[in-house]
Amino acid sequence: MAALPKRIIKETERLTKEPVPGISAVPHDDNLRYFDVTIDGPSQSPYEGGLFKLELFLPDDYPMTPPKVRFLTKIYHPNIDRLGRICLDVLKSNWSPALQIRTILLSIQALLGAPNPDDPLANDVAQTWKENQEQAISTAKEWTAKYATRDTNPTS
Amino acid sequence: MDSSTTHSTPTPTTRREVVFCHECHDEWYRDEKGIICPECQSEFTEIIEDDNDPRDNFDHAHTDDDDDLDDSLPPLEESGSSNHPLHNHNPWSDADDPEEADISSMRLQPIGPGRFHVQATIHRTISPAQFGASGNGLGAVAAFQSFLTNVLQSAHAQQSPAGASGADGQAESRSEGDGQPRVHRFTYSANAHLHPRDDDHPEPRGEPVDDLENVVTGLLAMLGEPPGGRRGGPGQSAAFRDMPPNPLMGLFAAMSGGQHGDAVYSQEALDRIVSQLMEQTATSNAPGPASQEDIDALPRKNVSEEMLGPEHRAECSICMDEVAVGEQVTELPCKHWFHHPCIAAWLSEHNTCPHCRKGIKGEETSASAQQGGHGAASGGDPTSSMPGAFGVSGEGTANQPYGIPGSSHPDANANPESNSTAAREGAGDGSGSGLGERLRRGLFGSPN
Repeated sequence: MAALPKRIIKETERLTKEPVPGISAVPHDDNLRYFDVTIDGPSQSPYEGGLFKLELFLPDDYPMTPPKVRFLTKIYHPNIDRLGRICLDVLKSNWSPALQIRTILLSIQALLGAPNPDDPLANDVAQTWKENQEQAISTAKEWTAKYATRDTNPTS
Repeated sequence: MDSSTTHSTPTPTTRREVVFCHECHDEWYRDEKGIICPECQSEFTEIIEDDNDPRDNFDHAHTDDDDDLDDSLPPLEESGSSNHPLHNHNPWSDADDPEEADISSMRLQPIGPGRFHVQATIHRTISPAQFGASGNGLGAVAAFQSFLTNVLQSAHAQQSPAGASGADGQAESRSEGDGQPRVHRFTYSANAHLHPRDDDHPEPRGEPVDDLENVVTGLLAMLGEPPGGRRGGPGQSAAFRDMPPNPLMGLFAAMSGGQHGDAVYSQEALDRIVSQLMEQTATSNAPGPASQEDIDALPRKNVSEEMLGPEHRAECSICMDEVAVGEQVTELPCKHWFHHPCIAAWLSEHNTCPHCRKGIKGEETSASAQQGGHGAASGGDPTSSMPGAFGVSGEGTANQPYGIPGSSHPDANANPESNSTAAREGAGDGSGSGLGERLRRGLFGSPN
């Protein structure tokens, strides 16, 4: 692999030095483009109290192309499918090189706090979310308690 | 019972035939006294065999008043090497059913602290007729063994036809390529079945592929599809034109440079492909690229003190390098500025300001888009550069995401980014090559 661009080094340094509250991103020792990410479920959301693991990869042409991000922890969310793929505009067509790992992860955290069933990735979840929001939120809470607990989801 | 009790008793192990009298329980060698009991003249006698010793059953059934008993103690358990208390212990000795499994010899040898070596001989008493019929008395075992063998063979048979028919298909292909008469095989296998996918290994080539390929090929033949005709489309290489007319193979091969038999069998494989497509089209409805001319026309200026803002330091938000006063940067119409190579690389893919998403050209861009054709048409229009309008503006360029009208401009070579190479290819060879390039990037640019 080509030398790591300065930008990636800087971003990594800043993520370590000035971490975002509720978010951690640690690069792998053997692949500095691959990050283990955890995001705390936002308060006032069905994901509150949960700790969600994600993986983030910076492609070769980053920052001209967005990072690839995926949930590893199972989550019940209309914009996140069962493989953890995330439907978020800034990860796709609205990516901009002025965005960073930090801002992307904040966007994902915000997405947890503001599910958008009108632009679904997980159709069944989105449908439940629209037709019976109470049921959907209670399922999301159940899944959070079941899959996103800190015990089964060590931060390391 | 020590070995002295066995001195006078003929035993079967001498290989001379020993006869046993069921009336008086006497024993004698057949070659000495014949088949009739020398004691009681009874004809109710039996030749003792290793596996059929009638004395066993009488030893325990007899009462103490039988004086002959002492002489006819069972001559089994001759090992005599062990005086262990359990030597000759026979827990099944009380079993009165002669058909029961019987343990004739059981030895417990301590071989270590808390560990024993247990040795036992089990024999079954069966009649000579049964004995002869079942060979060596292992009839049930043999039957089970052959059952197992059959199961394994049939399982193996389910696998091997897949490989064999795959080879057939290739041989067929060659002969067709030489203009030989076409042979169409229809294969139906009742063995076709679903099996769980093993993530660590490639998908096995099962029957269904072969079936599908053959069925489709055969169907097309019945419909009068000319062999080899209409296959060599412009997007296909000469190699594919020489290939037999297998539309699925051709399609898969043309799309991915893949191999014979690429197909999707499982939800996981489908998910993978969908993920790939999602990644490849992720930015397809993003704003299209700016023209190279417009990028070159952007004003350069030297960084001044006031551009640095109140913190007296600033960086190019694309490369995140700090920018010093006096350094030359490129400024967009929206007044956001970047290193020229940084912003040029971005604009050649998407005509938006990284900060505010405005395009770099006003109404002039739409005019140049009309004369220049596709590509730059989006984004240039001030209205379509608004964030809410991205989806609409993107649709116009989805087919030619990398087409740049001005890409043949010599200055295009000044762009060091590899993406500009893709852009030139896309513009030069049409969408096919653009798709290929993106597929390649999707495949090789993915993690792992």
